[in-house]
Amino acid sequence: MKTFWLFLVYLLIALLVIVLGIILGDIGPWYFAWLVGTVMIVLISAAGGALLDTQEDEKQSPRA
Amino acid sequence: MINGTVVALSRWQFAMTALYHFLFVPLTLGMTFLLAAMETVYVTTGKQIYRDMAQFWGKLFLINFALGVSTGLTMEFEFGTNWSFYSGFVGDIFGAPLAIEGLMAFFMESTFVGLMAFGWQRLTKVQHLIVTYLVALGSNLSALWILVANGFMQDPQGAKFNPLTMRMELHDFPALLFSPDAQDKFVHTSIAGYVTASVFVLGVSAYYMLHQRHMALAKRSFRMAALFGVLATAGVITLGDALGFVGGHAQPSKLAAMEAMWHTEAPPASFNVAAIPSQREQRNLWTLQIPCVLTPLITHTMTQTVPGVDTLEAQAVQRIKNGIPAVEALKELSGNPNDAQAMAQFDAHQADLGYGFLVQRYAPNQDVALATSGDIAKAARDVIPQVAPIFWSFRVMVAMGLLMLAFFIAAVIFTLRNDAEKHRWLLKLALWMIPVPFVACEMGWLVAELGRQPWTVYQMLPTWMAASSHSVGYMVFSLAGFLLLYSIFIAVEMYLMVKFIRLGPSAHGSESPTRGGGSAGTYAPAAMLK
Repeated sequence: MKTFWLFLVYLLIALLVIVLGIILGDIGPWYFAWLVGTVMIVLISAAGGALLDTQEDEKQSPRA
Repeated sequence: MINGTVVALSRWQFAMTALYHFLFVPLTLGMTFLLAAMETVYVTTGKQIYRDMAQFWGKLFLINFALGVSTGLTMEFEFGTNWSFYSGFVGDIFGAPLAIEGLMAFFMESTFVGLMAFGWQRLTKVQHLIVTYLVALGSNLSALWILVANGFMQDPQGAKFNPLTMRMELHDFPALLFSPDAQDKFVHTSIAGYVTASVFVLGVSAYYMLHQRHMALAKRSFRMAALFGVLATAGVITLGDALGFVGGHAQPSKLAAMEAMWHTEAPPASFNVAAIPSQREQRNLWTLQIPCVLTPLITHTMTQTVPGVDTLEAQAVQRIKNGIPAVEALKELSGNPNDAQAMAQFDAHQADLGYGFLVQRYAPNQDVALATSGDIAKAARDVIPQVAPIFWSFRVMVAMGLLMLAFFIAAVIFTLRNDAEKHRWLLKLALWMIPVPFVACEMGWLVAELGRQPWTVYQMLPTWMAASSHSVGYMVFSLAGFLLLYSIFIAVEMYLMVKFIRLGPSAHGSESPTRGGGSAGTYAPAAMLK
């Protein structure tokens, strides 16, 4: 049941994002670009941090 | 008529307070999202080091935020105290975004910033992360509404002048909110904040790496800031181009000043890389040009004409002549609001009302009916802002933007190889880069606002009639007071920043696990701190 509710929440978020994308993409393309771009910048930056952890782990435990 | 010295001092005061304030704003806009990125990694991986990072950089953010708020508050009052005619003239439109900024964005930001600072022990990890994102969103929404208001001053959309109330009134809120100028300016400014924060975090991290201190925190911060910065810089440059494209159509006089383009050239026009512009002679005393570059740069075509100062002044003469009957009709309507003939005359000429106001300054007894062709010529020359400071501010801003792009690309290459700490030249350069985005932001502000002159609201309300009728003594006294107070704010910011950077993040590293940070033991910061 929990998975179903989670599925519904994600579905709603996806719908909201699509509607927002259509409306903003039409009348406010740069606002839309800011939303998408900011999320992308934050996530890529976060992924970069996580990647460094992997690199550090590899450095400290050389492959067999 | 308001004393010209008072108008000049009012402009100096606003420019000074805005430029001081704008030293703090970009760092706030960018730091919040960088903090959110760091905390995202903490929540997803559970590694304590990212919590330490978010707390340490969060402390520096809070210092900057507090001083940014205190310098920003005065500016809202200045609209009423120093620009009372302007506030009455456009208050119906300008007040709406400012009120939304205060009630929605600033309240949201201020409420959640407290939870962000003091909620580490009281909130769960996810709750705290949501709070951090809300602070980031709030601070950027705050900028959005301010820039919507500013966008109206640059390119008035969604409002009409009502000759019966003698002020501009809002009639299309979506047009105000979604005006191309507001959109481009908001995104350009917000992302410039991301760049500023990235350079700041990169610089401070490089300082630690140079001194072999807090290496785990510094390396991760360096990596995240480098990636954050390179993408943001690319965004800023893209939006800069979009702003030039929009501004080129909406504010051709600003564009002519930015490019020191005194004479209209057949397309494709040449681009002035460097020049010594002479406002008095209306020509460049020296130029370094690249042929055929300006037209595609501005219009994204090879065939569209970019109007120079000569064309714009000639157009202004016609518009002033057309605006004079509008001002005369307005005078009649102020005496008799039911005068149908005056209303018809106003309707026919209202598109150039602002130009009529422009010549009023030079007309005998400020009666536009008595304006001579000499007065009209003087007013027409006024439509071109001061070229040299705009031309050079723009070039400094662009040069700094390109310098930061090159720097971030180098930083990304070395940090992705995980050997940035071995390149001391890069770390030293990162330290020297810290002032660069601040200077670029200040230059951007100068281009936008000096380029708007001689208008407070572009082509609607000239600056000369927008100020309050204070005495020169009052303005000098208040300007000196602000200068002193804001310089103290800057000194306090610098002192606190340097103090807490020198202290470093060690205060956070050994925090005991809490409700929100129960994963402290899942990572081995001690091993990383070797």
